[in-house]
Amino acid sequence: MAPPRERAARALNRDAVLETGLADPAWLKARREEAWDLYVATPLPSTRSEEWRYTDVGRLLPLDGLEPNLEGAGGAPDGDLVPGVGGPSRGTVPDGLLRTMAHDPASSGRVVDVDGHVVSVELDAALAAQGVVLCSLREAARSGDPVVEELLATRAVPASEGKFPALNAALWTDGVFLRVPKGVRLDEPIRLSRWVSRPGTATFTRILIVAEEFSQVSFVDEITSPDFESTTLANTAVELFSRGGAQVQYVSLQRMGRGGFYLATQRTLAERDSTLDTLNVALGGSVGRVDLNARLLGPGANSDMLGLYFGDEDQHFDFNTSQDHVAPDAHSDLLYKGALDGSARGVFRGIIRVHEGAQRTDAYQTNRNLILSDDAVATSLPNLEIGADDVRCSHGATVGQLDAESLFYLMSRGLDREQAERLVVLGFLGEVLDRLPLGGVTEKVTRAIRAKLRHLHG
Amino acid sequence: MNDRPILSVTGLSARVADEDPDILKGVNLAIRPGEIHAIMGPNGSGKSTLAKVISGHPGYEATAGAVVYQGEDLLEMEPDERAQAGVFIAFQYPVAIPGVSIANFLRTALQARLEDGEELDLFEFQELLMERMELLQMDPSFVQRSLNDGFSGGEKKRNEILQMAVLNPTLAVMDETDSGLDIDALKVVAHGVNALKAENPAMSVLLITHYQRMLNYITPDVVHVMVKGRIVESGGPEVALGLEEQGYEKYRRAQVA
Ligand SMILES: Nc1ncnc2c1ncn2[C@@H]1O[C@H](COP(=O)(O)OP(=O)(O)O)[C@@H](O)[C@H]1O
Ligand SMILES: [Mg+2]
Repeated sequence: MAPPRERAARALNRDAVLETGLADPAWLKARREEAWDLYVATPLPSTRSEEWRYTDVGRLLPLDGLEPNLEGAGGAPDGDLVPGVGGPSRGTVPDGLLRTMAHDPASSGRVVDVDGHVVSVELDAALAAQGVVLCSLREAARSGDPVVEELLATRAVPASEGKFPALNAALWTDGVFLRVPKGVRLDEPIRLSRWVSRPGTATFTRILIVAEEFSQVSFVDEITSPDFESTTLANTAVELFSRGGAQVQYVSLQRMGRGGFYLATQRTLAERDSTLDTLNVALGGSVGRVDLNARLLGPGANSDMLGLYFGDEDQHFDFNTSQDHVAPDAHSDLLYKGALDGSARGVFRGIIRVHEGAQRTDAYQTNRNLILSDDAVATSLPNLEIGADDVRCSHGATVGQLDAESLFYLMSRGLDREQAERLVVLGFLGEVLDRLPLGGVTEKVTRAIRAKLRHLHG
Repeated sequence: MNDRPILSVTGLSARVADEDPDILKGVNLAIRPGEIHAIMGPNGSGKSTLAKVISGHPGYEATAGAVVYQGEDLLEMEPDERAQAGVFIAFQYPVAIPGVSIANFLRTALQARLEDGEELDLFEFQELLMERMELLQMDPSFVQRSLNDGFSGGEKKRNEILQMAVLNPTLAVMDETDSGLDIDALKVVAHGVNALKAENPAMSVLLITHYQRMLNYITPDVVHVMVKGRIVESGGPEVALGLEEQGYEKYRRAQVA
């Protein structure tokens, strides 16, 4: 263990990469260094590129000023955590996070992560006995599990994917590894509760989930934080694999405080007859950018891709999605809905790519936006790229205001304008949640939306 | 019964907001507490326009005349203030609002009536809802559905009456509630309205209809005939029966002459 350095000296640089990887196995050290080289060699995405046109990351994210969160909670070094043992204790889990977690119903397992470091892991003992692995990703990488070496930052989110995937692959401090063996089905979700506490820092987290044949698992990844005076980055790489016939649901609940910059790269790889659904909920932070690529790799694969965003003040949410139909006879259905108040900005850019030979593809893409104020802006760019002739694809986008007839109807029953608006917005966004009824998620998100709606129009 | 009208419409002319010409051309009408009035008239005569002006629909505006409800200038009130004051309109074409369940919406509507800081008793609300649905022979699961979203014509009408039964208005305007209902459903709805009336005898009803049919089950005190934006005749139930036999032809001719 190297002596901790002066905090002020830390930055996103090669030293940080070396320090993060100090206790890693050789293959991982090499992967980090290679990723760093790629990061350095890759230019920062500019608004001249199609995919970043509406999010000026060079202006919004002061990368040079960010301090990597290399140490665990309270500056304690990593490495002592025993997977599968011990619950969150008050000493290590901040109150804000405890409050968030208090609303969660039953879980099959839970992981608590503070400032990019896993502080506790719990897993239902019966599931552990059936071979389910739930642990700190750092532990998993060091334990020599060949699956981790095979799949970590290789097939799903390799460093070569872009500037930020490279940065994450070089600097990730911790995350979650979840592996569900063949045929094992989890009744309740696994919950990851993340908290970012230190302003002006950058947190790099990875999630790797492998659901073996005919297994079933849902995973809720929630991130919260206080408000920050200075831009604070939470960068996440999510790698999801569903093997033949497996069913996986991944939910991201982004509820950071203002000043938070959430930047996630998510890749889903769905094999034959498997289902790999995602839900991205963006409510918090100042900037949220999610790059989601769903790959349908086998016949019968299915991905429902859901998104919900509600921006106010000057929040900025940008979703960049793609549905890659590599195999024939697969199905994907995307629905992203957003409401924008204040001077918030919503960007949706989505593409369905039907690869050559992917006959009988069923792929849909819908983005709907509700503009609640004069200064809010929604940009919607749906797209199709079809390389097969026998397919069913559709895409659609709408940007609209609250329907006057609907508001009038509710007011004619005695609701005042604001109450009517709240109900309509909640109903509009609620459609997304109805599509993925997952223990506790709907209630939690609905509560969070209601809380935001109390401040409608500032 | 009290002689002072609960609703008095005098010389009311109205049009689609900012669009000539007037649809209503000097309507006069006075409803006393507890009275049931029917307005009959051919399609396009302005019946729904009257209902919407009474409701405060922003798409319509009065160009002349007055509407006084319980001594107050109704036209000056916002739609929600009218509702709070006891005015209810069962619309002819209610809108669909996806994602807003009937139960949630009605709970909000009842909550909205309470003073600040007062909380609706959810148990009592549930009881009321169940009781009203039973009265209207509706399935309890109905209120979990989104408002009018994918409803059949009949379901929409029943939903309007369910809301009316829960909100318990002082003045209920029912705009062609009978169209879209088959005869059995019509009987159920009429029975429900009569039960509400029995519960609250002071409730006044303005029943807009195209046909005599509804009036077989809900007996009006006064029947008005509206043609081309005017009330051309008012009288007892016999007026409706006369219409059933002769149709609106004589009024149309009279207007042309
Ligand atoms: N929103 C509107 N826009 C344009 N014309 C309207 C509108 N509402 C009513 N009208 C016109 O006003 C007249 C009366 O309509 P309405 O009040 O709906 O009649 P009724 O209910 O008696 O059938 C009709 O000619 C109708 O086309
Ligand atoms: Mg009408």
